[in-house]
Amino acid sequence: MDASIATLQSAFRQGAPEAVLILTAFVVFLGGAFRPGKLVWGFVCLLGFVGALLVVLWHPFDLSKCVPTVSVLWTDPLCHYTRIVAIVGGVVLLLASWDELPHTQAADYFACLLILTAGVGLVGAANELVTMFLALELISIPTYVMLYLPRTGRPAQEAAVKYFLLSIFSSALLLFGFSYLYGVTGTTNIAAIHEAFARREVTMLPGLVMAGSLFVVAGLGFRITAVPFHFYAPDVYQGTGNGPAALLAFIPKVAGFVAFIRLLGFTGPGPVLSAIEVGVEMPLLLWILAAITMTIGNVLAVWQDDVKRMLAYSGVAHSGYMLLGLAVNPYLADKANGGVPAILFYLIAYGAMTVGAFAVLQALSTDNRAVSRNDDLAGLAETHPGLAMALALFLFSMIGLPLTAGFAGKFQLFVGVLSTTAPAESQMFRWLALIAAVNAAIGAFYYLRLIGIMYLRTAIRPLPGRAGLTGVLALAACVGFTVWLGVYPAAVVKFTRNAGQAAYPVHHLAGRP
Amino acid sequence: MSDVLWLIPVLPLAAAVLVGLFGKLLRGQSHWPVVAAIAGSACVSLYAVVQLHHQSGPVAVLRSTPLPWFSAGGVNIDFQLVVDPITAVMLTAITFIGTWISIYSIGYMHDDPGYPRYFAVFSGFVFSMCGLVLTDNLLVLYGFWEGVGLCSYLLIGFWFAKPSAAAAARKAFLVTRLGDAAFVLGIFLLWNKFGTLEFEELFQAARAQPNEPILLTACLLLFCGAVGKSAQFPLHVWLPDAMEGPTPASALIHAATMVTAGVYLVGRTMPLFVAAPAALATVAVIGTITALLAALIALTQHDLKRVMAYSTVSQLGYMFAALGSGQGDLAAFAVTAAIFHLFTHAFFKALLFLASGSVMHAMGHVIDMRRIGGLRKALPITHWTFFIGAMALAGLPPFSGFWSKDEILAVAKEAGHGSAYHAAYLFVFYGLLLTALLTAFYTSRAYFRTFWGPEVIPAEAGHHGHSHDDHGHDHDHHASEPAGPGVAHESPFVMTGPLIVLAIGAACVGGLLAVTHGFAHFLGHTSDFVKYLPKHEHHADYGLMALSAGLSVVGIFSAWWIYVRNPKTAGAMARAVPRLYALSQNRFYLDEIYGWLAVGPLTAIAVISRVFDMLVDGIVDIIGRVPRFFGGLFRPVQNGLVQFYALATVLGLVVFIFVLAYLRGEKGAW
Repeated sequence: MDASIATLQSAFRQGAPEAVLILTAFVVFLGGAFRPGKLVWGFVCLLGFVGALLVVLWHPFDLSKCVPTVSVLWTDPLCHYTRIVAIVGGVVLLLASWDELPHTQAADYFACLLILTAGVGLVGAANELVTMFLALELISIPTYVMLYLPRTGRPAQEAAVKYFLLSIFSSALLLFGFSYLYGVTGTTNIAAIHEAFARREVTMLPGLVMAGSLFVVAGLGFRITAVPFHFYAPDVYQGTGNGPAALLAFIPKVAGFVAFIRLLGFTGPGPVLSAIEVGVEMPLLLWILAAITMTIGNVLAVWQDDVKRMLAYSGVAHSGYMLLGLAVNPYLADKANGGVPAILFYLIAYGAMTVGAFAVLQALSTDNRAVSRNDDLAGLAETHPGLAMALALFLFSMIGLPLTAGFAGKFQLFVGVLSTTAPAESQMFRWLALIAAVNAAIGAFYYLRLIGIMYLRTAIRPLPGRAGLTGVLALAACVGFTVWLGVYPAAVVKFTRNAGQAAYPVHHLAGRP
Repeated sequence: MSDVLWLIPVLPLAAAVLVGLFGKLLRGQSHWPVVAAIAGSACVSLYAVVQLHHQSGPVAVLRSTPLPWFSAGGVNIDFQLVVDPITAVMLTAITFIGTWISIYSIGYMHDDPGYPRYFAVFSGFVFSMCGLVLTDNLLVLYGFWEGVGLCSYLLIGFWFAKPSAAAAARKAFLVTRLGDAAFVLGIFLLWNKFGTLEFEELFQAARAQPNEPILLTACLLLFCGAVGKSAQFPLHVWLPDAMEGPTPASALIHAATMVTAGVYLVGRTMPLFVAAPAALATVAVIGTITALLAALIALTQHDLKRVMAYSTVSQLGYMFAALGSGQGDLAAFAVTAAIFHLFTHAFFKALLFLASGSVMHAMGHVIDMRRIGGLRKALPITHWTFFIGAMALAGLPPFSGFWSKDEILAVAKEAGHGSAYHAAYLFVFYGLLLTALLTAFYTSRAYFRTFWGPEVIPAEAGHHGHSHDDHGHDHDHHASEPAGPGVAHESPFVMTGPLIVLAIGAACVGGLLAVTHGFAHFLGHTSDFVKYLPKHEHHADYGLMALSAGLSVVGIFSAWWIYVRNPKTAGAMARAVPRLYALSQNRFYLDEIYGWLAVGPLTAIAVISRVFDMLVDGIVDIIGRVPRFFGGLFRPVQNGLVQFYALATVLGLVVFIFVLAYLRGEKGAW
């Protein structure tokens, strides 16, 4: 009993990095109300990020004395990964949206960004359905505000409202799924739920488990823009500013995939895999989801003549690639290759190239002229050679050319899909790999088309925009990550493999009275 | 210690990136990072040589800690740098000579608008070349092989506004590509057969199955790659045109280092070639044909740089002839001879190119020997350094070239004994002897015509501050100026300094290393030699030495007789055998023959392809429209109405539930 009490008492200490972020957010909210200013509050916000990062890196929490089936938070390597990605991503997003923010609203935007980052960190830490739901809402609610802050025209209004309505709708679906899981297992603790599955207490109600899981998939599918829950993405990206669009393309996907991994028990201890075993159709569901998400994303991206809409659909397609990892994970003999670690790697690669692409659009835009049509980029190589080269790099990475992050990521995902051993499944996954390969080819078509527009055509109306200092810093970070992950991925591969390992030590689950 | 090795490739890479990115800021100072980086690499390379020298035991090798690059599934790719004596020799040649050429470039490229670009590519080339010799793996080697090809392309076409430079760059790229295609096939073949591309493992596998017929094919394919890169017959046509690039770049890339990559490749994979004697004989014969043909062409060229270019082709042929003579227990000796000649050749050929560049610099970029002459007074330092380089190339003792050439002749002489390819090696030996005579003659001809006789200085001389290698400038404009004696100035110290250093090298390196047997001992510790190549005791053949020295003296003397003593004889001789003269002058019409053989049929093929392409294109177009068509089907769903999106989400969910429920029902799992 002592261990359980100690575990519960440790919750605040486990949540220390998020506490730092949220406290900084309060300071920025309050201070911003009295004295608006971009520079000062941006700096405070950066300090908050740095502080949180220091806490994450230098204050690892010792889990050995905690009981997973009691704990509210669970700060394992996956959580560590999520926090680092969220904070680094937060810093880059802050820099990327800097020039777009109006002076008066900057403080609010920064504070929202801090809270949202804390939300992502909490998703990584959550070990309770309730915590998980709250953490996901902690991401959604600031997003509503942020979508509307930088640009206040009618399109931005429409985008914010659309996102708001569909987001609460998806939250409702998620909550509905959670209630089924609770109803079946009698607990809201995620570790306990998996343990219940593992002990086959619930095999009596497979239909309910399946329905519950399906609603969870639907709720999270909205966050990762899986088809058919993706509809909001193109409209919202197009309507809102570049900074919020970059944020929306990246942050919810990180949170969504981490939540998927947690909730479906993918980092559970070894072979005792749970929801998957009970709801045998889950891998099939993920298989279908991956296939249609990739395909619909890519074929619709081909039609787009607006870069932001194209990036939205390409984001849908990239989610499809990452779903490959989720679908195949239960069948992998060696979980370190492909599966979850590959997803975690791809998330970073995807973040770098997508946020980078939006940062280029931001650098080219001015207050009077928002750049987003394909044709706006004509002749970019002549007018803005540096930005054109950066955007070309990001697009090459999206295609998955060697020596870019996208290649290293896709390579790992494909290796995972092709290394299942069971005959029946490996047949099934070979088909999936084939679908993915065809999709990658379709993807190359529209990415290369954009590169062709930049390099082979002459400018119709030369763009006035120039990258500011913060924009250059954000771009440099994205270029750096894209090249680093492509040229020398070993260090990051090690990091993501570590993050994808078993979340709960086996003896904890086995030794429960 | 071994991790210091990383500095060798990384320093030039860093300099290339730095200058490439910030070239606009550095402008006229762009040379600093590059010179410093290459000099740093040279220091580390020399340090590696010293370390290797001090290692005890039969095998001397330095390995860096492997850097895991990629591992997924069963695929593990590591980066590891391996320095054994062969690599160390190559590294020393590349970085040491590279340092001096980069210093020389400061003076030569001075005021060029592309100054930073030149140094960025130059440094990139040094990086790729170091990577090429530092790897222990055929695949990575191929990567760098393409890297040096790219840098070479960029430097030949450096003055891309000039049509001839652009054409030369394209020609070099396409011709070497022919060889590379075969090279890639060879790599695939080896991978397919042995499942590995690491040299050590390949050699073991080859030794385990010596009579494997695939080995012959694979070796010939690898050699095709070398033929392209090292400008051997019949793919040698790109190298003389490559002289369109800046002269120092030609000195480094198209004389001293890159073109020897093929020699290095064959030398490195010698344990494979030894298992395929027919491949070796082919290498020797092709090498000899190249050596002879290029020497014959060089006899009549008027452009100083072109003479040097053909002599490079000819000397590379020499090296291949040496490698190809490595039958049976001669293999280690043959590789030693070839690498030795590669090493000394790097010195004196770089020197000759730089000295020619210095002449060009002083003559306002006129390099036609009919328009210059008697420059020994005007350009004293250039004259003496050129003299040393020319005597080394002519093989006059005691200059470097004599010693290495003598070793090659010794290998070729012994190769025929008891070999199945006796006749071939007889041809090789006598071909090489004849080439030695011709080399001495054409080299001295170039030397005497440029520096002796009455002083002739073209009107362009003294203009070099303005017109640089006539890039973008109008050629005819200069020609139409009234011809009058120009003024010639010796080049600045930043250019003559490197000349002097390289001249000392060209004079002494060969003798020092040969007389002390230092080179052979050092190379003898290469693990390939110790493990895979039989030992062979070689004794100095004084008769052969005397013969080679004699040929050289005869060649030099006859050149002196014809071009200095009786200047009229040259024209008379040319008129006496007009056909032969025209044949040599026009490079045996090989370019024209290729034009015929390749361009004519290719045009026909192109027409057929065009028709075929239109067909396929139509089909591809239809296939290309498929995604678009499906996208079009789904597009109306994206209608912008939020209530519809929610409805579609729910409908999707319902479909999922029914599908899964149905599957579950099929299995009877309810």
